[in-house]
Amino acid sequence: MTLFDLARKNAWRKPLRTVLLMVSIAVAFLIYGLTASFLAGTQGAAGASDDLLGVTSAGGRTQPLPMAAMSRIAADPGVAAVGYVTRLRGFVDVEKNVVAISAADPDLLMAVNGKGLGLTPALVGAIGQGRDRVLVGRALAEAQGWSVGQRATITAFDTPREDGSRDWRFEIAGIFEGESAATDTYFMIARYDYVNAARARGKDTVDAFVVLPRMGVSPGELAAGIDTLFANSATPTRTQSEKQFLEAFLRQYADVGLIVNLVVGAAFVTLLMIVVNTMVFAVRERTFEIGVLKTLGFSRLGIMALILGETLFVFAVGGGIGLALAKLATILAGPTLGLVFSAPVLAKALVIIAVLGLATGALPAFNAMRTPIIKAFRTR
Amino acid sequence: MTQTPAPYIALSGVRKAYRIGGEMMPIFAGLDLAIPRGDFVAVMGPSGSGKSTLLNMLAGIDRPDAGTLSIGTSRLDQMGEAARSAWRAHNMGIVFQFYNLLPMLTAAENVELPLLLKPLSRKERRMRVEKVLDLVGLSGREKQYPAMMSGGQQQRIGIARAIVSDPGLLLCDEPTGDLDRKSADEVLDMLRFLNRELEKTIVMVTHDPQAALYARRTLHLDKGDFVEEKRAA
Repeated sequence: MTLFDLARKNAWRKPLRTVLLMVSIAVAFLIYGLTASFLAGTQGAAGASDDLLGVTSAGGRTQPLPMAAMSRIAADPGVAAVGYVTRLRGFVDVEKNVVAISAADPDLLMAVNGKGLGLTPALVGAIGQGRDRVLVGRALAEAQGWSVGQRATITAFDTPREDGSRDWRFEIAGIFEGESAATDTYFMIARYDYVNAARARGKDTVDAFVVLPRMGVSPGELAAGIDTLFANSATPTRTQSEKQFLEAFLRQYADVGLIVNLVVGAAFVTLLMIVVNTMVFAVRERTFEIGVLKTLGFSRLGIMALILGETLFVFAVGGGIGLALAKLATILAGPTLGLVFSAPVLAKALVIIAVLGLATGALPAFNAMRTPIIKAFRTR
Repeated sequence: MTQTPAPYIALSGVRKAYRIGGEMMPIFAGLDLAIPRGDFVAVMGPSGSGKSTLLNMLAGIDRPDAGTLSIGTSRLDQMGEAARSAWRAHNMGIVFQFYNLLPMLTAAENVELPLLLKPLSRKERRMRVEKVLDLVGLSGREKQYPAMMSGGQQQRIGIARAIVSDPGLLLCDEPTGDLDRKSADEVLDMLRFLNRELEKTIVMVTHDPQAALYARRTLHLDKGDFVEEKRAA
């Protein structure tokens, strides 16, 4: 037997109570695991790069930039590669089935962010074989049930064709996987030359330039330099990293991270109160035995360690179960829902388990530690 | 000229009072006591005479208000709580009236508890536990829980727990108070064995005159002072 075994056996003295505590902890950490995975995955911010820069109009993303700006950006000695992208939003069959299309030059996109998107020369070659060909991200392909060679029609919300139709027909040339599970692949890549030629308005403009800084060049300084370059032009720019861009984009709708943190925080505070209350009663029931342990020579710190060990054990088991369920959910539904149970999510969860385990044990441990032996013996 | 050895347990001028209902109730007003190493002392007396207070002070779980209390080379009256905890872990075993075994631990685990405070390997702990369980006649019952045992067996587990770390001093608080005569005699035989064969110094508080007969001497405590001493024949 070890001191940990003693703490563990204490925890199991009332199995039903301990199981219920573990279930409530597991549920809280399941919620945490899923929401944190949602933040890390669906928002794509976790997989987005801090180094890759996006240049958009300072007037907002709805203001396009002229294609002519590209040569000025490319002339900056700090720029390794430049690509461009125009975004179309539309739907498949029903309006709530929203799909995003990034119209780009595939070769330039490959040079700028081919690794991040998981593009291969074979995929770029495949899209190059026809102007209406597209590459579809894995998450989008799975969600829509699309496969290579299939044709798909996207009805654009606000990008009509020259003939007045809003239906864009594409042939799926390949599926890109993304560099990691955290990479957003819920969109498709179309050829800019095809979209630009066919669209009714906004010709020869782009929504954003994508800039890859040279090795050793600070992305922040390069971003400032690009914005300075266009500061007095007709189209001033705002240059941000891909990560900042995505986070700012999502904040247009709501600060999802703040909402999620508030929900999870409320769950953990409730959990803290429940477990503290339960543990205070559980330890109070054992005051006499704590007196016996002290009589046998257990020090105040030893008693404290025993009770903290007990709450840590309960949190470790309950939290572990909750996180395992969250991981399972991300494996089963991750690609569809964009859930990514990443190493930082796990690390943060383990820290929370340790902090809550210690915090909930602190009050009962402190009470037990301070109780004089003689007073403890009077409780029987 | 022979020099008288210093007593193992020495109380000198010990004063102790408790506050009860706003008034100080004196228990001891200058108690003196000397017990040599290897002695087996029974302490008897009516309720309220101070037996439990004396035992609590000898166990280091209560401190005198004044006077000196030393056991071996340790001055318990001068020690802080942490030092007294460490002292208890290494120098004293205690046997309770109601055994006070932890119900969720097996017999072997209950006995092992004091050894968790010592720098021993798991194997060394197991060997010591097996040895003392054999000594108290409970080999083969290592995995039994207290609820599965008779009172006499539980008290023997309590004794095994008290001696497993090989302390020099054994304090017994009414060790037979919850036992039938036969079980009580078995427990007392064991205490006498520990005193005579293993040279443990034993102080036993008891109401039972039969139990006191097993001690080498019996001290009668009344109103906070020793009023009579009887030596075994």
